Amino acid sequence: MGLVESGKMPKPLTKLLNMSRRYSMWVYQWGLACCAIEMGAAFASPRYDVMRLGVIPLPASPRQADFLVVSGTVTDKMAPAVRRLWEQMPDPKYVISMGSCANCGGPYWDSYSVTKGVDQIIPVDVYVPGCPPRPEALLEGIVLLQERIMNEDMAERWKGDPIVVE
Amino acid sequence: MSMTSESDQLAYIASQAADARVNVEVETDEGMTLNLGPQHPATHGTLRIIAKLDGEKVVAAEPIMGYMHRGYEKLTEVRTYPQVTTLVNRIDWLGSFANEVPFILAAEQLMEVEAPPRAQWIRTILFELSRIANVCLFLGDMAVQIGATTPVFYAFRDREFVLNQIERVTGGRFHPNFDRIGGLKDDLPKGWIEETRGALNRMTDFCDEMEELVLGNEIFQARTRGIGTIPSDVALAYGLSGANLRASGIDWDIRRDANVGLVYDQVDWKVWTHPDGDSFARFWVRLQETREACNIIDQLLGTIPSGPIMAKVPRIIKVPPGEAYVATENPLGEMGFYVVSKGDLTPFRVKIRSASFSNMSIAPWVLKDVFVPDIISILASLYFILGDIDR
Amino acid sequence: MSEIPEHLLKRAQAAREKAESSQEPTDNASPTKETNSQTTVAVADESPIQEIDEKAEEILERISKGLGQKLISSHIAPNRGLWIRVSSDDWRETAQFLRDQLDCRFFDWLSVIDWMPSPYGRELETEQDVDSQAERIEDQPIEWGYTGGKTRFQLITRVYSISLGIGVMVKADLDDHNPRALSLIPVYPGANWHEREAREMFGVTFDEHPDLRNIYLPGDFEGHPLRKDYPLLSRRIKPWPGIVDVEAMPGEEK
Repeated sequence: MGLVESGKMPKPLTKLLNMSRRYSMWVYQWGLACCAIEMGAAFASPRYDVMRLGVIPLPASPRQADFLVVSGTVTDKMAPAVRRLWEQMPDPKYVISMGSCANCGGPYWDSYSVTKGVDQIIPVDVYVPGCPPRPEALLEGIVLLQERIMNEDMAERWKGDPIVVE
Repeated sequence: MSMTSESDQLAYIASQAADARVNVEVETDEGMTLNLGPQHPATHGTLRIIAKLDGEKVVAAEPIMGYMHRGYEKLTEVRTYPQVTTLVNRIDWLGSFANEVPFILAAEQLMEVEAPPRAQWIRTILFELSRIANVCLFLGDMAVQIGATTPVFYAFRDREFVLNQIERVTGGRFHPNFDRIGGLKDDLPKGWIEETRGALNRMTDFCDEMEELVLGNEIFQARTRGIGTIPSDVALAYGLSGANLRASGIDWDIRRDANVGLVYDQVDWKVWTHPDGDSFARFWVRLQETREACNIIDQLLGTIPSGPIMAKVPRIIKVPPGEAYVATENPLGEMGFYVVSKGDLTPFRVKIRSASFSNMSIAPWVLKDVFVPDIISILASLYFILGDIDR
Repeated sequence: MSEIPEHLLKRAQAAREKAESSQEPTDNASPTKETNSQTTVAVADESPIQEIDEKAEEILERISKGLGQKLISSHIAPNRGLWIRVSSDDWRETAQFLRDQLDCRFFDWLSVIDWMPSPYGRELETEQDVDSQAERIEDQPIEWGYTGGKTRFQLITRVYSISLGIGVMVKADLDDHNPRALSLIPVYPGANWHEREAREMFGVTFDEHPDLRNIYLPGDFEGHPLRKDYPLLSRRIKPWPGIVDVEAMPGEEK
């Protein structure tokens, strides 16, 4: 893919590549707390069925994953492990923060052992609010992420400037 | 090499690894140290097991927790009584409603308030529904840990019907926050009782399905029969409770023997025990309990008394000084709240006795001299939830 | 109170008054069937209350006979439980006695209570978390709960006898400056993790415990979080919003 690195990707090719990336995403599920069950319901239950969105759950390792769902409370003890797993994922990688705890600490905003938001350790692309969010909310978060990928200029990542996370 | 020095060595490695910065998979002449977790499918979240192996045999195993420690006991000291239920919902996140009940009952004991009969009935029904929602996932998950993938999909499918019923009453799929001191937030919606009967039929079908699919399976039996046997006296000394204790042959159930505030004495039901104490027994007991829960709910649905759902309580709740301990038979085992009040808006001290913490404390004992694959099946059969261990 | 908007308070007041005025008619209107079921439930509950009370008295008698001078004080809350207090020197012996003589083989839990007065949650005012008032309250005299006490830290454990159907709560005073007691592991192996937790959360040392490492917190964590003088720093930065819930209770009309 010399073309991507050089930054001279033709527009139609970018679109094609983005579309194929968008509909074949391996998700690494980092189930931490209550939200993990709703994530499990979204990924493993026939009622919500995430595969229709082109998302494939249960990769063998973070090295094969395209995006990460951090669902649940991140504690200060867990934080180094979260960071480390994220570092193991190949670029381009995306993060969905699921649930109030991962977004900002949630009900544990004043706890002595909880990290107030996973965005303190890794960049987050999509925040899904709720305590816990319904499986449908997570699916919407995934759709939003897919839109983001669709509109992405792939060469951007190679130009040196990091993508700013809103 | 003597046993003590090996456990010392393990303790050293575990303390090195405890902050998740060190990965330990060390192979030396004396054996191998194996690390499971903190992110591992078999640990239901963020438990970490460090095992010292001799070939395929586990010489010593050390669970490391705290990756999900959220400081509930401290946070309850800075929340008012009604706010505490929001927090304690999230301890055992599969059967949330069951977590609120012991706390509310302890506060009611101190305030000398009793919920009206109708509220007690609905509480008991929701309590048992959350038991089904909880144990249902265990039945599927246990099979996954043994290597069968299908049952967990069935469990997620059928669990939705129970969650729907809980949601229709409380508005939350699994963090209802529905219990109030002195009663309940709301009454049952119209038509709910009939729909619940339908959901119960589905659940009994699910239990039958699990029995056919899993229990009689040859591989399942080979992997669970005689594995991880816990004798009854050891189980008691470690404080095992719930189905784990009953699977070791001890006929003790808080719902029957030390019931507080719920209406189990109005129902004709049975406590299931199994004499073996192995992984198979624990699965079997939980399966029977799910059926029994359907039976209990079915009887209660027919006898809900009419009347108010809320006793008279003051607008701003100040609990009189005193101490109270109330335990209930939660899906995971005995969950109790020791509430110390000094007459303020917030509890002075809340000690949370969670079932999984005690259930897991037997792990170093039971994981000794088993084979590596059995770690997974034994842990799955002990059935813990990380929030319930770490709190 | 200043945090709550005026109009919300007024609304809550109005709702309360309305509910109070409409209380009587709803009581009268309740069907007779309900009162019937209420009485039957009450009657069914009546007899066990008496029975358990007598049981607790009887058990307490057996305990005081067995422990003799070691039993400092006791408390029975009718139908709710049995508390006893011993010296921390007799801690393990008491547990041994309860296990062997009273068949309390089920180890329930072990913890510590820090009786230092807490500045939080006394008033509806919100400033306590940031105010220097917090320090003044900590100087106030200590009030103990059931069975009384002498020192700031009190060890508490609950053991249960399945054959007798009663749980016993045992308390022991610990030294203020050097809180320590003998570990219960030889009596109840399950005490291991509970003692590790108590050590970590309160700084209580358990002698003869094989392995008093941190169980929850990372190794480099400083302080003992469940002590009353351990501040929650997030709250100092952003204080507690106070009572803002003025939604009408069920049964109350808007």
